Amino acid sequence: MKNPTTNPSSSMIRTRFAVRFLHAMKKLNKKTPAPSPYRRRFHTIRAAACASMACAVGPRKAWSRAILKKIRARTLHHYLINKSRNQQMMMIKRGNPRDEELAVGFGYGEEDDLRGLVPGGEGMGFCRLLSETAHYIKCLRAQVQVMTNVLDHYSST
Amino acid sequence: MADQYFFQNIKQSFSLSDIDSNIEFMNHFPGLNPGHQDTSDLNFHSFMGFPHDNINFLQLPEFPGNLENFPGLFSHDENTGIPPVPVPNISNDNNHQDRKRKSMDISTPESSSANSFSSSDKRIRTTNAAAGRGKKVKSTEKKDEKSREVIHVRAKRGQATDSHSLAERVRRGKINERLRCLQDIVPGCYKTMGMAVMLDQIINYVQSLQNQVEFLSMKLTAASTFYDFNTDTDAIDTLQRAKASEALKIENAASQGLPSAQLGLNFGYYPQLPHSK
Repeated sequence: MKNPTTNPSSSMIRTRFAVRFLHAMKKLNKKTPAPSPYRRRFHTIRAAACASMACAVGPRKAWSRAILKKIRARTLHHYLINKSRNQQMMMIKRGNPRDEELAVGFGYGEEDDLRGLVPGGEGMGFCRLLSETAHYIKCLRAQVQVMTNVLDHYSST
Repeated sequence: MADQYFFQNIKQSFSLSDIDSNIEFMNHFPGLNPGHQDTSDLNFHSFMGFPHDNINFLQLPEFPGNLENFPGLFSHDENTGIPPVPVPNISNDNNHQDRKRKSMDISTPESSSANSFSSSDKRIRTTNAAAGRGKKVKSTEKKDEKSREVIHVRAKRGQATDSHSLAERVRRGKINERLRCLQDIVPGCYKTMGMAVMLDQIINYVQSLQNQVEFLSMKLTAASTFYDFNTDTDAIDTLQRAKASEALKIENAASQGLPSAQLGLNFGYYPQLPHSK
């Protein structure tokens, strides 16, 4: 399976993402052995993929910062739910407005859709949104390639 | 024929050398506030001293478009034969009414710094000539000399030259540049499409990539629940080692300046993993 792109920066991202993702998978496999609720496992793996991608990119880009912020808020949410009951839950729900509710689109109709798709796309201008989208697409493509390779390995062994 | 039109238009009032030198500088400072006029005037003082033999009249026909926008009149001490003309001011904000009435504030020239700036003027002239008559040009050379944060934009022929439309044009230029980058990344995007269609394509592509990630993670959960985990953890360790070695190879190649194609890096090509039966 040859690597189609020879861009060094994209291969760096792929390597960093692969390392983090495999670490996360290893931790997950150790924690919860085989017969576990499928749905929860699926959500955990998907969150691990997004989180490891965001960590690999770093806080340099707005969309990775948005993902990390969301994940940290979510873990805090889970932690506090386990700790105490309704009051804190209400506090957190009010304190973290969902990104989709903050749509401030005008002009083109598609612009709002794009803002909803790209994480952290709500609070930036159209010009910046386009550059963030370009980087986000590159990273998503790298993520898909890595996950495909990992899956092939799982299925071949 | 452009020469004749140009000469008729201007010959009576002032010398061509003034126009030639001044037009360049006027075009390069559209974004200046009236408050900045003092510093700009000082710079203009130093620029004004162009010896006539340095100016090449043959280059003038290249800029009739710009000159039409600026039939402003200049006072020049060296040309006593010119009838007295009103001293113009740099004002971009008042141009919405009549763009031909652009004026500049110019005082006595100094010929001391003429030679250094005449060469830079020629450089700018040639770059502008290369860019074409009616095209928009960002004069980065002027930027270097002045070390200012203003983006210098030449107004296109037949367009308004007030600061709002200029800023709007710069913004549109930036957006078009980003769209061109996106066009290279997203398959199925063509330059002939409008912005709306391109945005649709981009949105579809991002959605399809996100769906792919979700689908792959679903398959991974299925695969991870199905297989034995002890072997998989060892496999993961070897995979990590392979990744690390690849990363080292990449770094070495980058430091040595080799193209990564020569490394024969196959990211998907993993070493054989041991399984326990």
